[in-house]
Amino acid sequence: MNENTMQAMPSADVAAEASASAVSGRPIAIQVNNLDFYYGKTHALHNITLGFPERSVTGMIGPSGCGKSTLLRVLNRMYDLYPGQRATGEVLFSGQNILGSGLDLNALRSRVGMVFQKPTPFPMSIYDNIAFGIRLHERVSRSEMDGRVEDALRRVALWPEVKDRLQASATALSGGQQQRLCIARTIAVRPEVILLDEPTSALDPVSTARIEELLDELKTEFTIAIVTHNMQQAARCADQVAFFYLGELVEVDSTARMFTAPRESRTQDYITGRFG
Amino acid sequence: MTRPIVSQTADRPQRSGVLALRRKMIDKLATGMSWLAMLIVVFVLGSILWTLLKNGLPGLTLALFTHSMGAPGAGGGLANAIVGSLLQTGLSILLGAPAGLLTGIFLAEYGANTKLARTVRFVSDMLLSAPSILIGLFIYMVLVEPFGHFSGFSGAAALSLMAMPIIVRTTEDMLRLVPVSMREAGIALGAAKWRVILFICVRAARGGIMTGVLLAIARVAGETAPLLFTSLGNSEWSLDMRRPMASLPVAIYQYAGSAYQDWMQQAWTGALLVTVGVLIINIVVRVGIRGGRT
Repeated sequence: MNENTMQAMPSADVAAEASASAVSGRPIAIQVNNLDFYYGKTHALHNITLGFPERSVTGMIGPSGCGKSTLLRVLNRMYDLYPGQRATGEVLFSGQNILGSGLDLNALRSRVGMVFQKPTPFPMSIYDNIAFGIRLHERVSRSEMDGRVEDALRRVALWPEVKDRLQASATALSGGQQQRLCIARTIAVRPEVILLDEPTSALDPVSTARIEELLDELKTEFTIAIVTHNMQQAARCADQVAFFYLGELVEVDSTARMFTAPRESRTQDYITGRFG
Repeated sequence: MTRPIVSQTADRPQRSGVLALRRKMIDKLATGMSWLAMLIVVFVLGSILWTLLKNGLPGLTLALFTHSMGAPGAGGGLANAIVGSLLQTGLSILLGAPAGLLTGIFLAEYGANTKLARTVRFVSDMLLSAPSILIGLFIYMVLVEPFGHFSGFSGAAALSLMAMPIIVRTTEDMLRLVPVSMREAGIALGAAKWRVILFICVRAARGGIMTGVLLAIARVAGETAPLLFTSLGNSEWSLDMRRPMASLPVAIYQYAGSAYQDWMQQAWTGALLVTVGVLIINIVVRVGIRGGRT
């Protein structure tokens, strides 16, 4: 056993048990087993084992460069865009190892949506931003499309603000509105899982609060994984929290226990602000 | 550059006094030189425009647009040259823009840093700086000599070779400005790469890409050298691109070198037309860019 696994082993084993029990009774939507990730020669994730319970929020915290975003980008195979990045291990999603070759990545990404740190509205109208994703995967009539667009915008509470200017450019919206539009765009495709990579770090407190409220509603229907630098946000939104440090999963547990009685001293130090 | 401060009270006031004066003078000098350079350029441009207007405007008659070129003193116009220029420039963009766009997309999105892409980029940049007379001679060898006669088509082909590398470069540069996050957002929705490129990246860069195309038009519309060996020029009215074809720059070249008063007048007016046309395209580009950014 090398030094890395010496440190990681206890937490990885505990993590596997904890993930099933952290959010009681929920089946696991995505199960990550013994995942290692490499940026070229850099070993970025070490032997990660973590389960994402269905229809609940998993918060991923840890200092910059700890690998939490990297893990997120494994779950929809985003790393595939970049040669030199590779993952080994197993990520089970509806009974299939999504790290395997020959997988239809576009189909996977329609089931595992992603929202990014910076709002990324497409250079088209508000309506077309939503319709773009739907058109990729389904043929729908004009009237059905109108309904789907309205529905998606209502779900993110953006409808009242934009219903009179659906044909206006999406880039004219405020940052918070743009991010809600991006979430609407993602849920309009009707995924099962939504990955959020620090979705509020570029937003003001009011917009942040609205997104957080939104997560509470969305988790009744979607499995959510959110990467955040904001400990309070993790405490407010997540049902279970996973703490990453230097490419390892240190600890994962229900949010309540994680913030009141973490088992690992490193977790304790991080959430109390002693480092990171 | 940074001297350690020994004593704040003694050293600082003295140093800042000398330094500040020096910097102020250098600042004044640099500003003055910039102004001078700017005035020279504006003066040259203004002088060209003024001369063109002064000499060209008197010849700006309706007949210029309705009559084809004629013998000295016969009251000809420039109608065939204007139409010839429009046709050849138009066709050259129809040929050059799609090829340039696709090449630019390849370089920015698919080729990136492969050997093939680097080679294509190098060749395209060579073409960009190739002397235009060489491009005319090249087309002469390929499209004129084998067919045995000059033609509007070969003129358009030569112009398209000039337009293409401009469009390649601007398209690639503009696509590279599209943030990675935008591409990833498209991919994350489950869109295939070509869809992301076509419907998101090209769309995001469309202002800059259009600017490139318009600049290419402005560039080739005034070219004379590539046409001398290809479309040759034609004093008759002709819309047949398989035959020699008139164009404004070539007509100006012929008329300006002649000894006839009315031809020289028409050369001035023709030059005014080309300049105003190019100016309008440039203004459209400027306004377009400003509109696209807000």
